[in-house]
Amino acid sequence: MQLAPTSPKEDPIIRQLNSPKWSDQKGDEDFNSLLLLACRICAVPTAILTKNVTGGATFIAKAGDTPASTDICYSLSLAGDDAAPLGQLFLLGKAPARLTDDQKSDLSLVCESLVSLLRAKSGSATEKLDRQKAFYENILNKLPTDIAVFDAEHRYLFVNPGAISNEEYRKYIIGKDDYEYVAYRNRDISVAHSRRAKFLEAKNTRKEVRWEDSLRDPQGNMITHLRRMFPVFDDHGELTLVIGYGLDITDRKIMEEKQAALVKQLSSRNTKLTDFCSIVSHNLRAPLVNMSMLADFIEASEDAGEQKLLISKLRPVIDHLNNTFNQLVESIQISQDLEIERKDVCLQDCIKRTIEGLQPEINKLDARIELDLSAASVINYPPQYLDSIIHNLISNSLKYHYPGRKPLISIRTKKEDSKIVLSVSDNGLGIDLNKHRDNFFKIGKVFHRHPNAKGFGLYMTKTQVEAMGGKIWVESMPGQGTEFFIEFDNRIKSAS
Amino acid sequence: VKRLFLIDDDPIFVYLTRKIIASTNCRSIIIEFTDGELALRHLGEISHQPELQPDVIFLDLSMPVMDGWEFLNEFGLVRPKLKKDISLYIVSSSISPQEVERSKSYRFVTDFLIKPLERGKIHEIIGHPVS
Repeated sequence: MQLAPTSPKEDPIIRQLNSPKWSDQKGDEDFNSLLLLACRICAVPTAILTKNVTGGATFIAKAGDTPASTDICYSLSLAGDDAAPLGQLFLLGKAPARLTDDQKSDLSLVCESLVSLLRAKSGSATEKLDRQKAFYENILNKLPTDIAVFDAEHRYLFVNPGAISNEEYRKYIIGKDDYEYVAYRNRDISVAHSRRAKFLEAKNTRKEVRWEDSLRDPQGNMITHLRRMFPVFDDHGELTLVIGYGLDITDRKIMEEKQAALVKQLSSRNTKLTDFCSIVSHNLRAPLVNMSMLADFIEASEDAGEQKLLISKLRPVIDHLNNTFNQLVESIQISQDLEIERKDVCLQDCIKRTIEGLQPEINKLDARIELDLSAASVINYPPQYLDSIIHNLISNSLKYHYPGRKPLISIRTKKEDSKIVLSVSDNGLGIDLNKHRDNFFKIGKVFHRHPNAKGFGLYMTKTQVEAMGGKIWVESMPGQGTEFFIEFDNRIKSAS
Repeated sequence: VKRLFLIDDDPIFVYLTRKIIASTNCRSIIIEFTDGELALRHLGEISHQPELQPDVIFLDLSMPVMDGWEFLNEFGLVRPKLKKDISLYIVSSSISPQEVERSKSYRFVTDFLIKPLERGKIHEIIGHPVS
């Protein structure tokens, strides 16, 4: 036990205890009797107990009167057997310059009791704190959300295993920011950029920021999180923390996407239904009206010659009705026949067959057909559909050639991402798409005065393309020509 | 004598309409066009000759090249230049209420007639028979 008198005015700990003033504080009364005993032994009016903490000491307890002036002070270091000093005992007053051996030994007994009491108290307090810490950490760690806490400079103060499951990475990130972390994990820096932008938004607007982000997990599945960052301020309005958390909403997202797809499908069906009503109204009702009017006249007529003439006019009407009806039935079958067999079809062969079938027309017009199938020469598709599509497009180009101009038809394939786009262009009549874009592929729509134009071809082509998940569109300039594009759905075999 | 423009691409229907008009004994001259563009072009050519302009136009909706709706849009622009007050009837096989509704947005459309044409209606439109 050290016993060295010092001047209270010069003792750094006593000076530290004056702010806030130790004498105004009540302190821990459990130490009162021991401190009073120390006062008696040494015959001083006042005793103060302090506890050593990192970087200084804190006031624990006091006993006795507050002296008006203290000239002298005994400072006793309260050390355990082996450990660093736990605290200090100060005895203030006009004490004798020297303590007797009896006083010293009595005082050392008091000090031992103070040490054990301090130990007991600090031990239980630490334990309590530890238990509390474990309790809260457990909650944060077990929550099925990602939690991260940042300081005002966007450095990590805490992350839970929901955010980073690997313990090593979780330890690494504390005190670091996202830029250091993406470098450490060899990840894409854009993640750090976007997180920093959100952080600054929360910091600058002083409001919660919400967003959704989607990333692929190591298995390649798209995982979507709803993320929030909200700033926490102290009493003075200074930013102290930003808490971020993310909730996995992948299930909800998948559900939403399914619903959106369903809505799209339904609205497309609705459009088809409206189209169908219009087809029935225009294309089926028109020949029926003609037939019934013809029948009325036949009934009313008494002239056999006239009757015969009228009957002869029935035939083309019936043929037309039949034709329209068959086309409609066929298009419905195409839309519903989802099990139709796909095969790898060689485009070159398919085009060759079509050209052979159209040879008389090609010869008559002196038409030239160019092919460039280098990008994709094989398409996985129902062969009869592909035949029909190619036939319709080439025969259209021939049918609507520009008078006096030799038809030049150019057929090409292109690869876009994983899809094949087939294009058929000509130098024919062309069409004003500003007027006709909406009607272009509709049944019974005819844009040129041609005896064989019935408005079935493109309608069937569109049906055959869309039934297999593809897309068809057109570009055209009146007097210059037309180019059709067909994008075939994903299932592609690469050209060999 | 009434001048009638019949704009319809269906030859059978045109033939039958001619027969019906003939059977009403109304005196009339029928001029046929197989699509809106041909009719519009002709109207342009006769814009300074009121005696050649029609009293009545029967207009089909579903036609190649220029359909009835496009014709209505163009006719709306041409009409103020014509010297005559022309009655325009849509004559369509369509029974779609949307199309009837749409036709009402054109002030100069007198009526929407659904095929087949009835003799009584023709009578009403082109006037009294001769004797």
